[in-house]
Amino acid sequence: MRGLIIIAAALALAGCESEPKVTFTDAAITLPDDPLELPEGPGREAVLENCTACHSPSTMLQQPKVSAEKWQSIAEKMIKVYKAPVDPKAIPQIVQYMVAVQAAGAEQQGAAPAP
Amino acid sequence: MGVTKPEQDAGARLTRRALIAGAGGAALAAPVLAQELGQMIDLGLPGGPSLRPLTPAFPGKGEMIVQRIRPPLLETPMEAFSEGTITPNDRMFVRWNWDMPSAVKAADHRVAVGGAVKAPLSLTLDDIANAGEHVEVTAINQCAGNGRGLSEPRVTGTQWGNGAMGCAKWTGVRLKDVLAKAGVAAGATRVRFAGLDVPLTDGAPQFIKSIPLDIAMRDDVLVAWGMNGEPLPLLHGYPLRIVVPGWFSTYWVKMLSTIEVLTGEDDSYYVAKSYRMPAAPITPDDKDFPTVSITTMPPRAFITSHADGAALARGKPLALEGIAMGGDAALARVDLVGQGLELPCELGPDEGRYAFRRWSVTLPAVMQDLAGIGVRAANANGIVQPETLVWNPSGYARNVIERITLRAQ
Repeated sequence: MRGLIIIAAALALAGCESEPKVTFTDAAITLPDDPLELPEGPGREAVLENCTACHSPSTMLQQPKVSAEKWQSIAEKMIKVYKAPVDPKAIPQIVQYMVAVQAAGAEQQGAAPAP
Repeated sequence: MGVTKPEQDAGARLTRRALIAGAGGAALAAPVLAQELGQMIDLGLPGGPSLRPLTPAFPGKGEMIVQRIRPPLLETPMEAFSEGTITPNDRMFVRWNWDMPSAVKAADHRVAVGGAVKAPLSLTLDDIANAGEHVEVTAINQCAGNGRGLSEPRVTGTQWGNGAMGCAKWTGVRLKDVLAKAGVAAGATRVRFAGLDVPLTDGAPQFIKSIPLDIAMRDDVLVAWGMNGEPLPLLHGYPLRIVVPGWFSTYWVKMLSTIEVLTGEDDSYYVAKSYRMPAAPITPDDKDFPTVSITTMPPRAFITSHADGAALARGKPLALEGIAMGGDAALARVDLVGQGLELPCELGPDEGRYAFRRWSVTLPAVMQDLAGIGVRAANANGIVQPETLVWNPSGYARNVIERITLRAQ
C-alpha cells in the first residue's frame, strides 16, 4: 500500500536537515471495468472498431446533441491531431451512428424544457 | 527512467486489430455502466443527456459522479461542498487526459530536470523532499472545463457540471528550489512539465504543460507530495504533482516525471493548440478568431445550502450559505443577487487567497418563490462575476453567476 509518513524531527541538530522526513512507499490501484455497451444501430460496428479503444461508450453517449458536420470534424480531428487508427472510410458510418443515437436519446429525454 | 510501466503502456499501444478484438470481447462481457455502478445523479445539463452514475467504486474515492471510467473523469457532487472549505481527498474530482500507470514504485521513480539548465539531473523522491523548505499551501484545484456541460449553446468535451473543483492543503517543496539544484540557464522563458500518463496511440501529443518562468519561481508554486496531510493518492498524481495556486489545474501536472526549462515559446499541442480561449468574446457563429491560453482562474461563488428547485418556508427568514473563490486574487466580496436584490453576504474565515471561503446571508421573512437568485463574487483585482455567460467553443473558465430558484411552501 502506498503511504507517506511525516516524522517530526525529535531533535534539531545543528547543521542537520531540519525539515520533516518524508517517506514514500509504493502505490497501486485497480480501476473498475469499463463497460462497452452501445445501442444497436447502423454504424455501430464502425464505432466499436474505430472509437472505443480510446472512448468509453458512456462518454460518447453523454455528449450533447451536435450536428453531423460537428461529428465529422471530431472524427477527422482524431486522425489528424491524435493519430488515432480510424479508417477514414468508416467516418460516414460513425457520423451516421452518432447522429442517430443522439436523436433517439433526445426522444427518450422527451421535450425537456430548457431551464 | 526506472519507472513502473503501466500495463497499458508500450505493450498495449493499440493497433486497429487489437482495438477490434478488445472492443468485441469486452462488449460481450460487460454489464451496462449504470447497472454496474448503481444510482444515477441528474447534473441539470440543458437539453441533456444529464444523468450520470454516482458511485463509490473507484479506489480511494467516496461517492463520485462518473464522467468517464478510463482514463478516469470523476466529478464531485455539489453536496460535498455544503460544509467547510477543504475538499476531502476521497471527494476531490479526478481528471486524466491520457491513461496513467496503475502502480508506481517509489524507489524507482525519477524526476528528470533538463532543458536550459546548467546541470541536468535525475532526482529521486528523497532528492525532491530534501530540495528545500517544506511548504503547505491551501489552494483550489479547478479544471479549466469546470461547468462546460452547462454551456448554452452546448459544446463538446467532458460534460462537467460545476463539480470539477476542490480545495486542498498541498505540501511539498518550492519548484524554484528544485530548479536551483540544476541551475536555470540564461535565456530561460518557461518551465514545462510531463508526467507518467502517455497517449494510447503512437504520434498523439503527450500531455505536457508549461508555465512562464516568473510563475515557476513564485514562492507558492510547489512540487507537492502531500494532499490534506496524506500522500497524494495515485488518482491525484502520486508521487508528485505540480501545484500552481490561482491557475487552472491543467498546469498542475500529475505523476511528475520531467521538468524542462525552455528558452522560447512552448509550441507543444496542449499549450499552443489546446486549452485556449478566444482573445476577445465571440459568438457561436464566429470562426478563425485569435486565441490565448487559459491561465488564471476568475472569481466564482455557489449556493450550497439549497439546490435548484428546493423549498423555502413561506413567511420565515431564509438562511443561505455557500462557498466562493477569488481565483488568482483574494476574494473581496460576495453579494446575493436576483429578484432585485443586491445584498452583501458575510464572509467566513479567510484561509488564504487561493482557498474556498464560506459566505452566508439571511433574508427576512420570504413570502414568495425566489426565482433566479444567485451569488456574485468579486476579487481583490476588481474582477466581478458576469451576469451572462462569456461563451466559448471549448466551455473554458465558466464564471457566470450561477442561479437557482427556490419554491415557497
